[in-house]
Amino acid sequence: MTTRTLILRSLRFHARSHLGALLGAAVGSAVLVGALVVGDSVRGSLREQALERLGSADAIIDSGDRFFEQDLPARLENSVVAALPKRNMSDDLAWGVPMSGAVLLDLPATAVRQDAAARANRVHLYGITNCTFFPTGNLLLPGTVWLNGTLTRHLDVRAGDSIIIRISKPAALSRDAVISSRNDSSVALRMTVGRMVQPPGRQFLENFGLRNSHVASFNAFMNLDELAKAAGVDGRANLFLPFSAYRLHEPSPAQHWWKTMREVISQRRWISPRAAPQIPYSVPVTSRETVDAIEPRLAEAWKLSDAELTVRMTQSSISGINAETNLTMVELNTRRIFLEPPVIAAALGYSKGGAGNLPDGTGVASSIIATPGSQQGSAPIPQGGSPALLASGASAPSTPGATTNGIGVLTYLVNLIRVGERAAPYSMITATGAPWVPVDMADDEILVNEWLAEDLKVRAGDRVELSYYLADSGSQLIERTNSFRVRGVVPLKGLHADRTLMPEFPGIAKAESTHDWDAGFKLTHKIRDQDEAYWKNHRGTPKAFITLAAGQKMWSNRFGNLTAIRWLVPTNTSPEVLRASIESNTRANLNPEDVGLKLEPVRERALAAANQGQDFGQLFLGFSFFLIGAALILMAMLFQFGVEQRAPEIGTLLALGFQPKQVRRLLLAEGVVLSALGAVMGVAGGIAYAKGMLWGLSTIWRSAVGTSPLRYHAEPMTLVIGAVAGTAVAALVIWFALRRQARQPARVLLAGGEVQDGDGKSDTTDREQKVDLPIHTAREKAGARWSFAAIGRIGWAGLLSVAAALGLIAFAFATNRTSHAGLFFGVGALLLMGGLAFSSVFLRRLLRHAGAVPSLGELALRNAARRRKRSLAVIALLACGSFLITSIGAFRLDSDKDATKRSSGTGGFRYIGESSLPVVVSLNTKSGREEFGLDEKDLAGVNFVQMRVRDGDDASCLNLNRAQRPRLLGVEPVELQRLNAFSFAGFAKGFERADPWGLLAESHQDGAIPAIGDAASIQWALGKKLGDTLEYTDERGREFKVRLVGAVASSILQGSLLISEDSFKERFPSETGYRMFLIDAPSKDTFVPNLTRAMQDVGFELTATTTRLASLNAVQNTYLNTFQVLGGLGLLLGSVGLGVVVLRNVLERRSELAVLLAVGFRRRAVQRLVVTEHGALLLMGLGVGVLAALVAVLPALLSPRGEFPVMSLALTLGGVLVSGAVWTWVAAALALRGKLIEALRSE
Amino acid sequence: MPDAPPVLRLTKVSKRYSSTDGGGELAVLQEISLDLQSGESASIVGPSGSGKSTLLNIIGTLDRPSSGQVLLDNEDLSRLDENQLAAVRNRRIGFIFQGHHLLPQCTVLENVLVPVLATKEASLRSGAEARARRLLARVGLGERLTHRPGQLSGGERQRVAVVRALINQPKLLLADEPTGALDRASAEKLSDLLVELNREEGVTLIVVTHAPDLARRMKRVFELRDGKLE
Repeated sequence: MTTRTLILRSLRFHARSHLGALLGAAVGSAVLVGALVVGDSVRGSLREQALERLGSADAIIDSGDRFFEQDLPARLENSVVAALPKRNMSDDLAWGVPMSGAVLLDLPATAVRQDAAARANRVHLYGITNCTFFPTGNLLLPGTVWLNGTLTRHLDVRAGDSIIIRISKPAALSRDAVISSRNDSSVALRMTVGRMVQPPGRQFLENFGLRNSHVASFNAFMNLDELAKAAGVDGRANLFLPFSAYRLHEPSPAQHWWKTMREVISQRRWISPRAAPQIPYSVPVTSRETVDAIEPRLAEAWKLSDAELTVRMTQSSISGINAETNLTMVELNTRRIFLEPPVIAAALGYSKGGAGNLPDGTGVASSIIATPGSQQGSAPIPQGGSPALLASGASAPSTPGATTNGIGVLTYLVNLIRVGERAAPYSMITATGAPWVPVDMADDEILVNEWLAEDLKVRAGDRVELSYYLADSGSQLIERTNSFRVRGVVPLKGLHADRTLMPEFPGIAKAESTHDWDAGFKLTHKIRDQDEAYWKNHRGTPKAFITLAAGQKMWSNRFGNLTAIRWLVPTNTSPEVLRASIESNTRANLNPEDVGLKLEPVRERALAAANQGQDFGQLFLGFSFFLIGAALILMAMLFQFGVEQRAPEIGTLLALGFQPKQVRRLLLAEGVVLSALGAVMGVAGGIAYAKGMLWGLSTIWRSAVGTSPLRYHAEPMTLVIGAVAGTAVAALVIWFALRRQARQPARVLLAGGEVQDGDGKSDTTDREQKVDLPIHTAREKAGARWSFAAIGRIGWAGLLSVAAALGLIAFAFATNRTSHAGLFFGVGALLLMGGLAFSSVFLRRLLRHAGAVPSLGELALRNAARRRKRSLAVIALLACGSFLITSIGAFRLDSDKDATKRSSGTGGFRYIGESSLPVVVSLNTKSGREEFGLDEKDLAGVNFVQMRVRDGDDASCLNLNRAQRPRLLGVEPVELQRLNAFSFAGFAKGFERADPWGLLAESHQDGAIPAIGDAASIQWALGKKLGDTLEYTDERGREFKVRLVGAVASSILQGSLLISEDSFKERFPSETGYRMFLIDAPSKDTFVPNLTRAMQDVGFELTATTTRLASLNAVQNTYLNTFQVLGGLGLLLGSVGLGVVVLRNVLERRSELAVLLAVGFRRRAVQRLVVTEHGALLLMGLGVGVLAALVAVLPALLSPRGEFPVMSLALTLGGVLVSGAVWTWVAAALALRGKLIEALRSE
Repeated sequence: MPDAPPVLRLTKVSKRYSSTDGGGELAVLQEISLDLQSGESASIVGPSGSGKSTLLNIIGTLDRPSSGQVLLDNEDLSRLDENQLAAVRNRRIGFIFQGHHLLPQCTVLENVLVPVLATKEASLRSGAEARARRLLARVGLGERLTHRPGQLSGGERQRVAVVRALINQPKLLLADEPTGALDRASAEKLSDLLVELNREEGVTLIVVTHAPDLARRMKRVFELRDGKLE
């Protein structure tokens, strides 16, 4: 006989009474395991989807609207292979990370069915070519487009159908620039839908995508060459996806030995490890390893043409003393018109480190070039460095000599050159240094060519006025005028007749006549015949020259501040040598990231997004908390009932010399075994529960997870953890329930344990039973009133709990954290504890209180107090359930509530608009509206808040992945502040202010850009808190931080972060136009059809803000539904618990009830007594729960978005009340059936 | 051996129950004194409610006196805490209840050995099973070792309870109405057994009983009346 034998014997003997507890443990564990498996499944599905989206891509170069040469990947691959270390000279085997990859052109597009019956905006159009990554087998022929299933279904097309795809044609110069072609901004392609061909089992074309989102996107695939040609970027691409499936490395001796032994086994012949060839050992590589392996090679493989830079030679003639001589120069220019500061710094020979130290923006060129009289400007002689530059603190040129002596050129279009009444329209003027202008020319002086001097009748000393548009004023067309004094007149020949000084302005450079110009703005000044003739004969030859400093002061812009750099060829070298030198020098000094060629570990990010995504395991654990709690309380109740039935057995053990703790250990051991068995059963149940939840998430709760199906995944370790946790929790609950067992005297237990809870410790109470004397304390006799002394320790604990809860609520109001979930749970838990403590005190007092002749109701109430712990367990169960249901009802979001108010989640806007292609005009201006053929009447009373968009991860609750770099919206803070739009849920510490949108305009000491986001996005989608920062990379590959300074409450802004438009343009200068619009509109929607029709070519989509908000709210509301369903199940278990208690109480007291019958009570009256007794418990449970919930949700109710669904709540609680009453009635009826009077005989 | 210290000495043991509302006290036992030598047997008789079981519970450390002293082997039991009292019950006192209180889930042998589980003393544990078998054979249950209580008659169950009470070789054996639930024949058999064991095992025996036959078979007979032992 051992302790184990005794435990096992007891378990077997009491198996039937343990069954309920076992089931309770199993349910608790099943819910726990199930919740964890749901987490696994969501995580696993997200991982799967992430890998499906990316195919085998490890990393990415996404150059956006910069286009590199399509052969860059091939060059990179060669460079990588060449760099792989060889084991020995004669060996072909190499160690390292081999690389392959795919090159793509990624353009935003819209797709329309030929009959215009269906349209899809925000289409990702990819130009692809046959490669390992996209093994199209050359089946994607020109004229054919492949659509993914989502797009196919949306357009309802089949293979062979025609569709129109409209793409935004990449512009050389941002369409935000004044001089930028407008007419050629998009191109429509008529394509035939082809049948997508993918290798079996590889469906990533279907799901291909680079954003960390599980929401299926519209994907279309075209032949790369065809798309590049149509987009005007022939031979170029903007996406490169390198991948390396493995890393080869030299095997260690152990690895070599192991591999050889495997060969021996497989070939069944002996091979000596020493003689066996060393085979490279391959191991899978991470995304980061791929990036680390490739990054150094990229710096070697890229060319200037990948950055759309060109180095060319130009010829000019200059007049010497005796004759004209040819002057050859080398020029660096760009297809993007303006050279950016990093390029300028690199071209002028400043090393990467030095360039990095230079001031950013236009200051670089200014300090280098624009200083009047500097060596740079005055002496274009290829020798030595630039003192001005060296004085600026930059590092020394890496290639001293020729390259540092480049001459900056900035040529720009001037609207009008005016002298008094005379004016010449639309002329190019070049700002540069010597030899085009005299070394000592002042910044307010101008050289005019002889044509202009003649035209305007000007001479040296006259003043001319130049009127021009600010270069990046876009559609606003801000005009400025500057006055210059004529320094002299230069002949229209030689250096000053160089038409190549004008960059290839799109829409202008190739025009045959001035009338053909597509300058991006309306030519309002009259073009005279002589102007036309000048264009015909001299094209863009500058009509005047000013100093570079003067030009940069007027025309510097966010795209750059030079249109070219020129170098004079020194006499001691050839133009070719200098050109080569400049090319290599510029490339060597320029980081590929500076021109958008940045490698990002996309797989790592995607997997991180999936792994850190919404933790549904925790979420469902939270949702199931009450269900688990209810199951465990029920289990504990049933177990305890079983133990109470064994009171004589416990008494025997105590009488035989067992210590109470030994007895409790024996019982606990039984409980632990039961818990473990329950947990094992729970694993199976948990899998079923998880599958049920996944089914729910795919059907009735679909709104919570978006469109992607979730597949079942379960990690073995999760099941083990779940089972262990289930066992531990159940055992803990049993331990808690048992902690007062075996404390009653053995003699009492031997007599059957008929001792009331909490009593029996003192001789007095023992005797109360024995002699049946009504005993009342003097304290109680003094009065039935509550007093501090009377409430006892439990009462004090209750008071403290309630006080703490009220303190928390006050804190919430004081700190404006009324929507804080932790606060809600904290307050709720404290109030529930308080309520239960008061219930305990109340029951205790009921027991001790005795009137003269109790009524039936009073008797029932006193009965309820007899098994105080049992009654409290029931109250606790019901209180938790009703707390849950009440509080959830109050947290439901209604998108229509106060939708017109600025403080609501809609911000008071009626519509939110999104366009696939950028809109570069202001839709609030007449000219902007005219651009789309809209007049004032069409849009009367309509006002737009336009926002720039930098695409990123969707940081809304609709995205289950953890957003790594959310979409950025650039907005003019003043506009939102003027409207006082949206309510703020909170601010980062130290950023509280009355004009919250003004926070966006502030600059931070550490250079971080202030951002405002939706509170839910920040907390759930980003996993951040206010004051945190996020890392971004700007267009030039520079890392920068975005600081979360404010959070708006439950709004349509969910999913993005808002920064100021100025910061946006500074970081993403090439990101053209606006793609998101918040729209104020009159109550009538008559403008909607006109607006959508007019803007359909840019893929404009209007959504009512209430609809958008409802779709976002749907996630939270669905979570609440889930929570409510699971809470309802918990309450159901609570009702079952109540039924069990009724049954047990009645069975225990059958003889007592029989006495009532014997003395003349009717059976129905007895039944009413039982129902009243337990109805009181039901009411107390619901009362405590509802009261706690009402107080806990008070902060949320009083917040602007708060509401309280009184009717639905009343119905739900009424339902619970009825259900509880039914359970009680049924249980009482069951227990009282039969001949009750016989119980007296057995007594 | 008149000079040997008694195994059990009760000195002015009283037990009172008082109500906390000041409604007076109920004295169940009043200044009871008693000495029992090793191997002695005694019976306590008296009407229902006279406090017989209360006295037995106090002697058996299942209850504490309101005043007075209980010395077992010259050790004052009132100075012991609950755990020490449990050890006293386990090793020095054997209990036989009116209801046998056998564990229904255990066999006869296992039931007898249950008290052994409560102690870690190797001396008690070693040879416990052999002792159990011997004692069970002694009481005529040698063939019923693997039977469960449900398979035994009332008398047999009570004999198992007797063996269980003796398994740790106690000095004092307390029997509370041991024959109360038995038929006459079984009661007689059990009475014989108790007397024999008292003699053979040298254990001091106190029997609380209503049965005059059983009471008379004890060396000393006490009557408890109005809380006083006569």
